[in-house]
Amino acid sequence: MSKTLHKRSDFIKRSMLSALVFLKDATLSEEYANRKGFLQSLDPRIKTISLLAFLVTMISLKSAVLIGTLYGFCLILAFSSSIPIRHFLGRTLFFIPFFSLCIVLPTLFSTVTPGDPVCSFNVLGINGTLTRPGIDGALLFVVRIATSVSLVVLLSLTTRHSELLKVLRIFGIPYIFVLTVSMCYRYLYIFATMVENIFTAVKSRVGVVSHHRHGQNVVAWNIANTWNRTTQMSEEVYMAMLSRGYTGEPRLLSQFYATPKDWVWLLSSLIICAGLFYSGHIL
Amino acid sequence: MSNIIFELKDVHYSYMGKFPALCGIDMTIRSGEKIAVIGANGTGKSTLLQLLDGLIFPDQGNMTAFGERLLEHSHDDEKAAHRFRKRVGLVFQNADIQLFCPSVREDIAFGPLQLGVAEKEVKRRILEIAQVLDIQHLLDRVPHQLSIGEKRRVAIASVLAIDPDVYLFDEPTAGLDPLTVRHIIDFIVTANQRGKTIITATHDLHIIGEIADTVYVFGRNKRIVSGGSSESVLNDNPLLELNNLIHIHRHQHDGQEHVHKHLPLEEH
Repeated sequence: MSKTLHKRSDFIKRSMLSALVFLKDATLSEEYANRKGFLQSLDPRIKTISLLAFLVTMISLKSAVLIGTLYGFCLILAFSSSIPIRHFLGRTLFFIPFFSLCIVLPTLFSTVTPGDPVCSFNVLGINGTLTRPGIDGALLFVVRIATSVSLVVLLSLTTRHSELLKVLRIFGIPYIFVLTVSMCYRYLYIFATMVENIFTAVKSRVGVVSHHRHGQNVVAWNIANTWNRTTQMSEEVYMAMLSRGYTGEPRLLSQFYATPKDWVWLLSSLIICAGLFYSGHIL
Repeated sequence: MSNIIFELKDVHYSYMGKFPALCGIDMTIRSGEKIAVIGANGTGKSTLLQLLDGLIFPDQGNMTAFGERLLEHSHDDEKAAHRFRKRVGLVFQNADIQLFCPSVREDIAFGPLQLGVAEKEVKRRILEIAQVLDIQHLLDRVPHQLSIGEKRRVAIASVLAIDPDVYLFDEPTAGLDPLTVRHIIDFIVTANQRGKTIITATHDLHIIGEIADTVYVFGRNKRIVSGGSSESVLNDNPLLELNNLIHIHRHQHDGQEHVHKHLPLEEH
């Protein structure tokens, strides 16, 4: 068997398995949400409202310094919520802002954003001039993106996914929608595991190396098989729901309790937001 | 008799109208009884439990529950459906099907909440049941992170929270370690002592003596081939052998070959 064939068959397998691992890690890991920390101790509804307030305030700000200050505050929140700073920086400061910078790169130059020149250069006969408004605009954009991502990451890392879904209720999302999404989330893991097992079973029967066309067949079988099992399981789950009294109008347990600590935090957050808004107005 | 809970007369059921699952079942179940339905795979045990739970309905024959005929439209009325669901609870064989909520606590709460139990009372029941089944530490976990034994206990808790009069168990001990099997047997026995009716589908003959007074044997023809006290059925080796419930075991003792009948997983 040639190396090329091996690589091509491996490509399908590796792509599928990597996708499954990513799915499990990204959506099902609740490592930080289960830790003891400041944000974890807050009522998820209050936490969502306060972080949303920060997000809205941040969008209204036009000063990179103030937004940077808010980012610093996010770092303090991450630290007090037992999130390793290196992990937090990795998720908020490197990749997404880097890609944002790539997007705004043309706006740095005088051809897109005219203004006071900061420096000029000549590369392969092409002249370029960086302008002050261009740099300021790009900086504001990147800092804004990094801070927005930080606020969302803080919320998603410190809240269990099931609680996050239930928070949707405060925005008037119907119970049935919350229940359906919760169930989708619950069964993602089962189907991801099932697909993984099918791959292991195929590997145990046909060996590691197979022709890439066979690999494509395996993927097609997988899709068909998963579809069949999904349909079957959805019918059985519906039966299990009926068996426990479901008649089409779901009722869910409300588990959230706001304590004085939550209200103090919400008030403090609103005061900080007002302070930032005022500072942004006078700067 | 007034204490009859379920009465089935010549009940037939087939999947999609062409794959027969039950072919002429006659059965009477009275309040407080402890019944086991045994048979090889594919003999219709799980289908029977789904019929008794009002999830599917007979193609032919009559079936009554609590003195009323059980028909497909019987549960169209929400109040009638709730009345029935409060009295009958099914523990499914596959706990992953039964545990569809994002957390154990919500799964236990689901049944009583749908049946109109007040939230305060539901929360009290959750704590009480968690203590009884020793699952307090699992309440805030997500079901997919649990072991099979833990899932099975949570599945039982989700039905126990409804506090039905009739418990239907579908293979409650399949694939479990001996200690968890012991806990489940103890639970079934205790529930029966509290007056609950227990109907268990299983092919684990080791637990029959404890969990059932009456045993029905389902054959490959999807009919009841025998029924009687658990003692009489368990001692009827030809019947059990004919229905794939025991096997002939061949092994050696001190170099000499030895052949005898054997219950699945039996030690010797």
